[in-house]
Amino acid sequence: MKPYQLITVGDQAISIEFPNEINPEINLRLQALAKIITADKVVGVQAVIPAYHTLLVTFDAMRITPRKLKQQLERIIADQLAAPLPPKRTLIIPVCYEDPYGPDLSDVADYAGISTDEVIKRHTGKSYLIYFLGFLPGFAYMASVDDQIAMPRLSKPRVKIPAGSVGIAGIQTGFYPVTSPGGWRLIGKTPLTLYQPDNPEPFYHAGDEIKFEAIDKETFDVIKQADELGHYHVKVVTENA
Amino acid sequence: MHNLSVIQPGLQTTIQDLGRVSHQIDGFPVSGSMDQASHRLANLLVGNRGKTACLEFALTGPTLIFRVATFITITGGQFSPTLNGKPIPENEAIRVHENDELAIGSANAGRYGYLAIKGGIQVPEVMDSRSTTLRIGIGGFNGRALQAGDQLPISPQETLRSFGHRRVNQAFLESFRDPKTMLQNPLVIRILKGPQWSLFSKSDQRLLQHQQYQLTSEADRMGYRLAGKPLTTSLKSLLSEATVFGGIQITSNGQPIVLLADRQTTGGYPVIATILTADIGKIVQCQNHQLIQFQLTDLKTAEDELQKQTELLQRLKAEFIEQRYQAPIGINRSAAQRIRGLFEGGFSKG
Repeated sequence: MKPYQLITVGDQAISIEFPNEINPEINLRLQALAKIITADKVVGVQAVIPAYHTLLVTFDAMRITPRKLKQQLERIIADQLAAPLPPKRTLIIPVCYEDPYGPDLSDVADYAGISTDEVIKRHTGKSYLIYFLGFLPGFAYMASVDDQIAMPRLSKPRVKIPAGSVGIAGIQTGFYPVTSPGGWRLIGKTPLTLYQPDNPEPFYHAGDEIKFEAIDKETFDVIKQADELGHYHVKVVTENA
Repeated sequence: MHNLSVIQPGLQTTIQDLGRVSHQIDGFPVSGSMDQASHRLANLLVGNRGKTACLEFALTGPTLIFRVATFITITGGQFSPTLNGKPIPENEAIRVHENDELAIGSANAGRYGYLAIKGGIQVPEVMDSRSTTLRIGIGGFNGRALQAGDQLPISPQETLRSFGHRRVNQAFLESFRDPKTMLQNPLVIRILKGPQWSLFSKSDQRLLQHQQYQLTSEADRMGYRLAGKPLTTSLKSLLSEATVFGGIQITSNGQPIVLLADRQTTGGYPVIATILTADIGKIVQCQNHQLIQFQLTDLKTAEDELQKQTELLQRLKAEFIEQRYQAPIGINRSAAQRIRGLFEGGFSKG
């Protein structure tokens, strides 16, 4: 059993804290806990917000005391830690790594001392856990990329990164759901619309895995068109953890 | 249905309820009213549920024309509202008639005001909330601040029980949130130790409590930057964690940012302390350059203070229910209300 601590944060939140590391096993436990706490409808609980190694549980202090909530959480955590992890869901996201979509791809290749093709091979060669969503709606913090291509972020962030851009920041990888400033090394772009203000709920969530699939420019255009018409369906693979 | 016309939008007027609480897990800022205590009080005064959507305005409020009769109230900062050119009080239910013009004016004290309208503002919910998040353009009215010419959906309301009693007196305001505190300089804001408190040196912990901070002009719905002598503990970068309303982050230059309604859901700066929920409204209402003094307290005090604030609202609600049959009898039937309106010649409360 993983050691954890319950820490009150302010007067209306409790943080479930696991060891301070980026570890998929710890994070998958947190995601499972988040689902259970939501499904259990614990009186007074308002929201659960996962991060790498923490799960924040916010509550209405007029409906439950921190002491009572801690007791309930301890019980839920004990049950959950004894149970197997829920099945894993992997979403396949198409990415075009060709010019002009990956302005930093050759820098990453230089950093790694390998060819750009090899960078693409490494980036698409494994699936990445979404540890949590934050920074922007639908901005997924995913890890861990191959150590060799784990290039640190730009020292001076870009003012404007187009929506759909796929980047690397150290061992993290991710995509920009909306056009925004940012410092990640951009190696490609997905043709998928990741954020729609009129239908803002993302189709991926914390706890899902993402696997990138390299596509050429022609395919990028075809998928983009299909996606805009609502005809593109993201491939989903479900398997037992 | 579009019965509220925006004549002048004010500096930044948005529709807010108590926030998009349950979608933080997908990275959506919670948003909602900055001063939730004033938001709840406003709704209570016009008989709405606490989370009903209100208009929130900052520093300069809007001018609006009501196309239907209803009941309204204004809470929060001290503005100088007028109805058809005549001053009206805040913190009291006011009857408005078709084509009445409400001008909120500018804040004499405080920063955010709330206009509650009986029945609420009926824009559609986006992900379980009517709150506007300007940064990502969702919720409220087309995801943006109001503009001149906008028409908002409100419904006609002819009755309000205990109408004549729906006001709060000075004594209530003093215990709910002493208006004099808006003029305190420095303003005392109570805090709890944050999750990264112990990572800071003893001298930084003391400095946070014993110096006066000044609110800078970098203050918006996401957060307020404060300026003081910088804290000096250098911390290696932390793994991001979820943020809370009122969390005090120390950025790399040693200065605090108070995280507020539109904050990012996660952040990587150390949180040295958090502001008591009962005191968040106080700091939210500060104008630029206000001096702030943090005072460390304990969880028991934080719970008691929040309890006290909540009980005041609950007692007020109970009083309004009891006063239904006490003179002056509230406006219960529409016919009686119309006749009464004729005698009163419009908007005065009698």
